[in-house]
Amino acid sequence: MPTTETNNITEPEKTRITITLPTNAYFMSGIRDFTLNMVKNTTSFEEKWAFRFQSVIDELCNNAIEYGSAPGSDIRITFLYAKDDYLEISIEDTGTGKNKINAAQLQKLFDDRKAPGYVFTGIRGRGLVKIVGEWSDELKFEDRTGGGLKITVKKFLKNARQNSTGINKENQILLNV
Amino acid sequence: MTEVNITIEDLANLVQGQATKVVKIAGQLDESNVDEKIQQVYKVVEENPKNLNLIFDLEGLEYMNSKSIGYLTDLYGKITEAGGKVVIAKARPNILDILQVVGLTQLIQAFDNLEAAKSAVATTKASA
Repeated sequence: MPTTETNNITEPEKTRITITLPTNAYFMSGIRDFTLNMVKNTTSFEEKWAFRFQSVIDELCNNAIEYGSAPGSDIRITFLYAKDDYLEISIEDTGTGKNKINAAQLQKLFDDRKAPGYVFTGIRGRGLVKIVGEWSDELKFEDRTGGGLKITVKKFLKNARQNSTGINKENQILLNV
Repeated sequence: MTEVNITIEDLANLVQGQATKVVKIAGQLDESNVDEKIQQVYKVVEENPKNLNLIFDLEGLEYMNSKSIGYLTDLYGKITEAGGKVVIAKARPNILDILQVVGLTQLIQAFDNLEAAKSAVATTKASA
């Protein structure tokens, strides 16, 4: 097995895949298919997590399409799989979208919606907190030097195996009636 | 646009004097299609302003995003407020998983098969 050993610390084998796609929701079906197959066939995550990562990426890319990158510009997705350790996924936009938002604003929006007692109203707004937040161990929002946002999520295999339900009993839904 | 098909079938006489429809969704509901396709279901709600029962048959649904879940939540609110009922039947494990993580299964009952979903609608209405 290819590994890198330094001072008796064994580093896991890492695989990095980067995909650049135009800012258009049309391409997301193919990205979801790729994610599902990649996680199923090349990682040790169980199938349920392949579907979950599919949703995480879809939600983050839709966020980038909505807020980050103008039509005609790009979104970059990077998968980094550390064998039998974790899967890290980064989504980068160009900051050219008409509804652009910076990392601090997005972090605040996330924290507000994650707060106990927050009730979701309306059609949109659940994806980042309820899907991306619930199905990742680490979530980082960063401003890119050249403009735009980089959102990175990380899921450790050991946590995926230990707690695979991901059900948040604190969920509250407020209906628009 | 990602492919998705929504067909709506009338279940006459499941509940006496009330409209009951089976909404079959097959394919993938995502950002590219949900705003347009979901209007078929809203049209049914507009045509049946009171006591409408909807059974969502999700056997063929491969993927749904958070906006689709937002629409489902909105439909549930509108229909139940007007005296109707909404249930889900035959959802795949990945669909049930995402409905659970956003908390929607706390509101809408999900059944393994269509007969159980029909019984749930008929029983609740009969005893109401």
